[in-house]
Amino acid sequence: MEFNGTFKLEDTSAEEVWLALSDPVLIRDSLPGCEFLIEVDDEDVAFDELREESTEAEPTGDPEVIAERAFQEGKRYAALVEIGVGSVNPSFETTVTIDEREFPDMTASGEGSANGSSFEMESGMHLNETDDGVSVEWWANAEVFGRVAQMGQRVMNPVANRVVKKFFERIQERLSELTLDDQGGDGEQGTERAGADEADDTSGLSQRIRDRIGL
Amino acid sequence: MSMDTIEADEVDVSDVLGSAIERREDPALITGEGTYTDDIQDPEMAHMAVLRSQYGHAEIESIDTSEAEAMDGVIAVYTAEDIEETGTPGDLPVGWLLPNLKTPSHPILAKDRVRYQGDGVAVVVAEERYVAQDALDRIDVEYDRLDAVVDPKAAVDESAPQVHEWEDSDVQSNQAFDWEIGDGDATDEAFENAAHTVSVDLENQRLIPNAMEPRATVAEYKPGTEELEVFMTSQNPHLHRQLMSAVLGVPEHKIRVVAPEVGGGFGSKIHHYPDEALTSWCSMQLKRPVKWQATRSETYLTDAHGRDHITHGELAMDEDGTITGMRVKTYAGMGAYLSTFAPAVPTYLYGTLLSGQYDIPAIHCNVIGAFTNGAPVDAYRGAGRPEAIYVVERLVTLGAREMGMDPAEFRRQNFVPSDGFPHETPVAVVYDSGDYEPALDKALEMVDYEALRERQAELREDGRYLGIGFSSYIEACGLAPSELAGQLGAQAGLWESGLVRVHPTGKVTAFSGTSGHGQGHETTYAQIVSDELGIPYDDIEIVEGDTDEIPQGMGTYGSRSAAVGGSALVTSSQKVVEKARKIAAHLLETGEEDIEFENGEFSVTGAPERSMTIQEVAQQAYLAHNMPEGVEPGLEETSFYDPDNFTFPFGTHVAVVEVDPESGEIEFEQYAAVDDVGNQINPKIVEGQVHGGIAQGIGQALYEQAVYDDNGTLVSGSMQDYAVPKAEHIPHMDTDDTVTPSPHNPLGVKGVGEAGTIAAPQAVVNAVTDALSPFGVDHIDMPITEEKVWRAVNESEEGS
Repeated sequence: MEFNGTFKLEDTSAEEVWLALSDPVLIRDSLPGCEFLIEVDDEDVAFDELREESTEAEPTGDPEVIAERAFQEGKRYAALVEIGVGSVNPSFETTVTIDEREFPDMTASGEGSANGSSFEMESGMHLNETDDGVSVEWWANAEVFGRVAQMGQRVMNPVANRVVKKFFERIQERLSELTLDDQGGDGEQGTERAGADEADDTSGLSQRIRDRIGL
Repeated sequence: MSMDTIEADEVDVSDVLGSAIERREDPALITGEGTYTDDIQDPEMAHMAVLRSQYGHAEIESIDTSEAEAMDGVIAVYTAEDIEETGTPGDLPVGWLLPNLKTPSHPILAKDRVRYQGDGVAVVVAEERYVAQDALDRIDVEYDRLDAVVDPKAAVDESAPQVHEWEDSDVQSNQAFDWEIGDGDATDEAFENAAHTVSVDLENQRLIPNAMEPRATVAEYKPGTEELEVFMTSQNPHLHRQLMSAVLGVPEHKIRVVAPEVGGGFGSKIHHYPDEALTSWCSMQLKRPVKWQATRSETYLTDAHGRDHITHGELAMDEDGTITGMRVKTYAGMGAYLSTFAPAVPTYLYGTLLSGQYDIPAIHCNVIGAFTNGAPVDAYRGAGRPEAIYVVERLVTLGAREMGMDPAEFRRQNFVPSDGFPHETPVAVVYDSGDYEPALDKALEMVDYEALRERQAELREDGRYLGIGFSSYIEACGLAPSELAGQLGAQAGLWESGLVRVHPTGKVTAFSGTSGHGQGHETTYAQIVSDELGIPYDDIEIVEGDTDEIPQGMGTYGSRSAAVGGSALVTSSQKVVEKARKIAAHLLETGEEDIEFENGEFSVTGAPERSMTIQEVAQQAYLAHNMPEGVEPGLEETSFYDPDNFTFPFGTHVAVVEVDPESGEIEFEQYAAVDDVGNQINPKIVEGQVHGGIAQGIGQALYEQAVYDDNGTLVSGSMQDYAVPKAEHIPHMDTDDTVTPSPHNPLGVKGVGEAGTIAAPQAVVNAVTDALSPFGVDHIDMPITEEKVWRAVNESEEGS
């Protein structure tokens, strides 16, 4: 099944969006049904154990902190994502590998399985700066198996669209918060220092993001 | 116009055969009194659920059942390894062999590899049904997914993923068989000399049976007596017993198979599936009764599907439009394994019907059977014959178009003539009897054909597109002379048994080895026995579906029950009468030859006042105080009836539709069906079978299709995604008949179970393509959705 679309994020810069979409914690908090999303080394991922240790990371608007934990090309990440499809709510144990990550393009491939259902997916995105923000072109090519797949594209498409729409809406929300945080902080301590210094403007933040995460 | 039924007590015994007596099985079924497999309860009963592969094709790397086993209420979890450890054969046999047929092992649980979505991987037995289902989710199976192939033609390509590995063969291929029938050289010659030829590429799409009651099994193993009792949704309990004996390694006489009420089958309950063996095996392990009830989703995934043909067909004609030859090449999908009778369906039940109603001098048909990563394909209502008649009637329709002839007249010109029977075709069968023109004429009259063509022309001027579609079909019922079946590869005889037991009070219980599941056998068989014995219909009880009660049996499929099962009851009844005649002659103190028998009364020729009723004779037979020399007491007889030939019902159906080329919508104007099924035992039941059959055929023509994606995932796996037609989709049907008795069975019956399903699809397709002929549309594959109509119109040259 192929899915794709373009989502417009307003009042932001490509760098900010890049930063946001590089942050596993922010993705975790934005992706509907995502319980955790963390980097893993092992070939076999023990999801039950991960679930216990997964709650540590806090959301932040601090580029420094995000840079520390940002997605890296070639690394693997594990996620537990519950998706409601028709009458079933399978929790997908998912692993994702970042195949390519070069501003403004990112591609990832992954697979997930839940009770009696599974998927394999390749996906990617490309950021375009526009007059009033950023447009994210995204695509995903998924092979879906088992119980969920049996419901066919008729059921799958609305689910995918709903998840993606919700995801970008939350990203948009977080981006507003992120800008606010930055206006209040110097970037060293993130949210703890909120309100202490005069804010950089947005372009200053973009520059800082560029510097910090090596764009 | 629908026929009224008659109450049994209003019918005199001399009129009982051929009367539209009300079905006696309905009150119990419609009040919920009938016992289906899932209605069977036992306080000790455990419940089995099957974990099925989510992949169309994958290696099984590991199975971890520990979490499921640890659940409260779970009694046991078993995998293929556990079955192997018990030394159970556990491999499903194929019931019909072809030359050079590849027969892969078909284990009741997949071992190292799953080959279609739904292949069983493990079973859970639990105290409660829902616990068993929940426990399936706790079984952890590691798969390594493999590429799949689902298209039968693509499957035999060298580069296709291989469904099976053939250890005993150098050639690794998905080809199950390469089968042919007819004279290839003569056919080629016909085409070389042809003045006109037409051809068509068509698909006969994969269908899912959708019986109202999903499959189910209740098995109880009794360790004390080592007996295994299996209640199951079966169309042929004796066959299931015999096959299960081999699969489970339990002696046949220690197994009792019972088919309680069975809610439809359409063929899907003929076959031996893994599930009934698994349920039985679990019961043997646990020494408890075990029940398995398929969910609707499971039936979509695992009931043997139907059809799945990709065909290229050609027709040769001389300059007058007389058919001189037919050439057919078909790729038939078999699915991942060979189901019980699967090899027979696209071969002997298909190629032998390609002559249709026509006198065709040369026919050649080549069928390549292909393994694919789909559910096994086997007999589904019509089984091979709908596929054949679809090819024939599409080609004939195109032939008429090529010749610029009226499709009805083109058919008439090529019919086997009325005086041409018995008719031997170039594809190995001999039509018993037929008279094709009267059925066509009646159908033309019913739709007022000439006026209809005029109206079609008028409407076209207004930009409206009416289409008239013909289907002059033939059908082969009453499978089959056992000797012939054996020569063709059947691993069973195809006779039928019937036992007629007259009780001392003159009441009767008759037993048949067929196994009805909605057909109304309890009514029609009682009519047959009542007519033969002259005993009132209400005094006759019919028993089917229990291997402990019935001598032997081959079951109900292929529209064989009346022609073969009914004939066995006739033969047994006649034997009863002959024995009773001996007793009556003795008691009336005259010679047997002087005894006449009519309407249940034995009388002395020329002295009708000296008589005895058959009931009185029965009483004397059991008293046995005064029996003729050498005659045993009692009055019951058994026979095994082996048919001399198939029977060949036929008819003409006409569909009239209006097609909107812009929206693609198809609306029925009329549907007329004239069926000749030989003598009719109960015309109301015949009418019902025709109605249901047509509905199913229209379902195939316009709505139904089993769709697998490239990975072998069934994406039409529920009633939301697989369109079984609803009442609103089915037009009013005008039905009528002609009667040409079969000359070779005592009832003169032919069979009606599948006729409608065989007749209807091409009537509809021919109507739609007739409507769209101004756009140059020759063919649209089924199901003809609105989108396909729209595309056909827009892609054709003349359409714009």
